[in-house]
Amino acid sequence: MIPELGYISLTIALGLSILLCIYPLWGAYTNNLRLMRAAPALAIGQCVFVFISYAALVYASLTDDFTLVYVASNSSSSLPWYYKITSTWGGHEGAMLLWVVMQAGWTALVSISSKSLPWPLRARVLGVLGFLGVGFMFYTLLMSSPFESLLPYYPVEGHDLNPLLQDPGMIIHPPLLYMGYVGLSVSFSFAIAALLTGKLDNTWAKWSRPWTISAWLFLTLGIALGSWWAYSELGWGGWWFWDPVENASLMPWLIATALLHSLAATEKRGVFKSWTVLLAIAGFSFSLLGTFIVRSGVLVSVHAFTTDPGRGMFILGFLAIVVGGSLALYAMRASAVSSPGRYRLFSREVALWLNNILLCVATLIVLLGTLLPLVHKELGMGSISIGEPFFNEMFSYLLVPFAFALGVAPLLRWKQNKFNALKNKLLLIGLLSIVITASWLYSSYDVVSSMTFIAVLLAVWVTISTIFDVVERATKQTSLIVGLKQFTNSYWAMVSGHFGFACVVMSVALTSAYSVERDVRMMPGETVTLNEYVYRFDGIKEIVGANYTGHAAMVSIHKEGEKVTKLYAEKRLYNVGMQFMTEAAIDASLGRDLYVALGEQLNNGAWALRIYHKPYIRWMWLGGLIMSFAGLLILLDKRYRGTSKVPQKHKDSNNASQPVASGEVS
Amino acid sequence: MSGENKNSKLMFAVPLIIFFLLCIFLFKGLFSNPRELQTGRLGQEMPAFNLPDLMQENKNWSEKDLLGKVYLINVWGTWCPTCLVELPYLTKLRERGVEIIGLYLEQGYDPDFDGEFNIQALRDEVSQMLARTGNPYQYNIFDLNRSLAFDLGVSGAPETFLVDSKGVILLHHTGDLNERTWRAKFAPKFTELKEVKL
Repeated sequence: MIPELGYISLTIALGLSILLCIYPLWGAYTNNLRLMRAAPALAIGQCVFVFISYAALVYASLTDDFTLVYVASNSSSSLPWYYKITSTWGGHEGAMLLWVVMQAGWTALVSISSKSLPWPLRARVLGVLGFLGVGFMFYTLLMSSPFESLLPYYPVEGHDLNPLLQDPGMIIHPPLLYMGYVGLSVSFSFAIAALLTGKLDNTWAKWSRPWTISAWLFLTLGIALGSWWAYSELGWGGWWFWDPVENASLMPWLIATALLHSLAATEKRGVFKSWTVLLAIAGFSFSLLGTFIVRSGVLVSVHAFTTDPGRGMFILGFLAIVVGGSLALYAMRASAVSSPGRYRLFSREVALWLNNILLCVATLIVLLGTLLPLVHKELGMGSISIGEPFFNEMFSYLLVPFAFALGVAPLLRWKQNKFNALKNKLLLIGLLSIVITASWLYSSYDVVSSMTFIAVLLAVWVTISTIFDVVERATKQTSLIVGLKQFTNSYWAMVSGHFGFACVVMSVALTSAYSVERDVRMMPGETVTLNEYVYRFDGIKEIVGANYTGHAAMVSIHKEGEKVTKLYAEKRLYNVGMQFMTEAAIDASLGRDLYVALGEQLNNGAWALRIYHKPYIRWMWLGGLIMSFAGLLILLDKRYRGTSKVPQKHKDSNNASQPVASGEVS
Repeated sequence: MSGENKNSKLMFAVPLIIFFLLCIFLFKGLFSNPRELQTGRLGQEMPAFNLPDLMQENKNWSEKDLLGKVYLINVWGTWCPTCLVELPYLTKLRERGVEIIGLYLEQGYDPDFDGEFNIQALRDEVSQMLARTGNPYQYNIFDLNRSLAFDLGVSGAPETFLVDSKGVILLHHTGDLNERTWRAKFAPKFTELKEVKL
C-alpha cells in the first residue's frame, strides 16, 4: 500500500512539473503574468509530492518490505536501521529518486527565495528547472522505478546493502554530491533564463552566484568525503583513483570553480559575460554527462552501477536535448552580448581569465582521459586504458602555471596594475617561499625530488602571497587588528579558498613522495619498525557486529619507548552477502597517519598485515574543508542572505584609493 | 577576451559542435559492452574441478561426471535464509523432472584459523534441513574452499546455473529461484533443450 502511494505521488509530481515547465515559460513568452504567477505554487507542489514519494521508499526499507525489488536487492532484515535508511540511495533506482528529491528541493528553494526577481526571469528560471525535473522524473518512473514490485513471489530476505556502503562516510557522500550536481542545475537555469530574456547583465550573475557557490560547496565536501571514504574503507591507503566515476564528479567541480570565479568578474566588472554563461551551461552539462557515464555502463569503473542500454539511451537523449538545446541557444544569443569592460594585460581580469582557462584545460584533460578509451575503441583502434600516470603528469604540468597565477592574482587589482610596483613584492614573496620550502623539506627529509620541491614551493607561495595580501590590505589605513575586522566575508572566502587549495597541494605532494608502505608477515608478539614507529602485533580477537562477524588485529604502536596508540584493524565477513571487507585502523594526526590493514591469515598463527606511514595526508581533507568554508562564508555574506533586493554597491573594507579593488574571490 | 563581440557567430557554435561529436561516440559506446571480458562464464564450459561429495565419504565429482545431461547447479548452504525458502520450490522442480546438483558453499571457513572441519556435524545439519524442506538434489558437491564457486563467479547464495549436455553454462541466476524467475528465465531455455513441457 505505502509503496503504491509513493509511486502515485511521484506520478502526481511529474504532472505538476510538466505544468511547471509549460505554464511559466509560455507565460513569459506571451507576457502573461497569470501564467507566470503559477510557477511558485507548482514548484512547491511537486516538491511536496516528491518528498512523500521518497518517504514511502524509506518506510518500505525500514519495515523490510521485500515485496519491492529495490528493497529486496539493497537491504536485509539484519541491517541496522540507519543503514536501512541509507540503503534507499545505495542502489541505482533509489539514487535516482534521491536525485529527483533534490531537484525538486532546489526548485522549491529557488521559487521561495526569488520573490524579488522580475517575473519574466523568475518564471523562466523555474520553468527551466521544471523541465529538468520532468526529465528526471520520467526517467525514474519509466526506466528505474524503485517501487517495482515482486508480488506475488517475493523473497523472505533481502540481498543486503553492499558492505562497502555500510560506512558513515558513505551515508552522506552520495547525497552531498547529488546536492552539488543538482545545485548546478540552478546556475544552469539562471543562464538559460538570461539567454531567453536576452539580458545578460550583472543582475543574473549576482543572482546565480550564491546558488553556484552552494552547489560548489556541496561538490567540494562530497568529493573530499568520497576521497576520505576510499582511504579509510578500501584498505590500501589510496585516496584518489582517477576512476571514471570520480572523474565524473571532478569535472563539474572544476567547471564550477571556474564559474564562480568568472561570475565574480562578471558581477563586479561586467566582463566575460558570454563566457560565464557558457560555463554555467557547461557545469550542469558535465553533471549530466557524469550521470550518463556512471549510469549507462559505457565505461568500466570500480563503482559499477548499472549496464542497461535502455537507461543509457534515455539519459543520452535527455543529455542531447538539454545540452544540445542550451548550446544551440547559446550559439544564437550569446554573440549579441558585448562585454564592455576594459582592462590591461596586467590586471585581475587577466588573472581570472587565466584561472578559467587553466581550469577548463584541466576539465578537458579529465574528460579526455575518461572518454579516450571509449573513443579509441569506437574508432576501431582497440581497447586502451588510461590510468593514473597520464592524469598525474598532466595535472603536474597544469599545477605550475595555475598555482603561480593563484599567488599573483590576489595582489593584482581590477583593470590594470603597474608592473614595477608589483615586481618587488613578488620577488620578496618568491624568495621567502623558496627559503621556507627549502628549510622545511631539507630539514625533514633526506631526499627531495624536484617535483616535490616545486609542488610544495607552489603551496607555500600561494600561502605567503595570500598572507601578504591580507596584511597589506589590513594595514593600509589602520592597524592590523582593526583592518582585519573590516574585511568582508567574501574577502575572507577568497583567503580561505586559496589557503585550502594550498593545503591540498602540499598534502598531495608530500603524501605521494614520502608515504612508506610495508606488507609484513607477523606472529603475535612480533614487532616491526617503520619511520621510528614500532608496531607490535598483540594478537587477534574475534568480533561480532550486527550483521557481520570477523577478526580484529590488535596492534600497539610505540615511538621512542612511549606508547602512541593501539589500533584494531578489522576484517569483516558480512553474513548475508558473504562478502569480506577490510576496515583499516588509522591513527590520524596533522603530521602523519599511521594506517594498519589486516590481510589474510598465514600458516601457524601468523597474519599478513599492511602498514602505512602517510605524512600530512590529513591536510588533503582539511584543505577541502577549508575550501568549503570559503563557500560558507560567501553564503553568509549579507549581500546574499535572504531575498535582498538591490544589487548593493559593495562596501569594501579598506579602500578609498581603489574603489573597485575589492577583495572578491578571484 | 574583450573581443568576444567581434567574433563571428560561428565561434559560439563551437561548443555545440564539440558536444554533437561527443554524443556520437557516447551513442556508439552504449551498444558495445566494456565488460565483455568480465561477464563471467556464460557461454563457456564448466570449469574443471575435482571435489568430494557432501554426504558420502570417498566419493569425488569432476566436471566430466556432468556431461551428457541438462541440469541446474544450485549454490546453497544451511546458513543462508533465502536458500531455506527456495528448497521446497526446487524440490517441486525435481518432481517435475529437473535435475539439480547442489554446490554446497561453506561460509567463511578458514582452514588455518578454524582448525579441522567437522564434516559430520554439517552432514547432520544438512540431513535435518533437507528432511524438512524436501531434497531437490541428485547429489551435493562440497566446495569447502570455495574454489569452484570462485571459478564460476559465485558472489553469494543462492545462485543457480543452467548447464547443457555439452557442459556449457547457459544461465547464471543470482537470488532465489521461484515460479516467477523460473518462468521468466529458465523455463524457455530448459524446454528448448529438453523438449519437454514443464
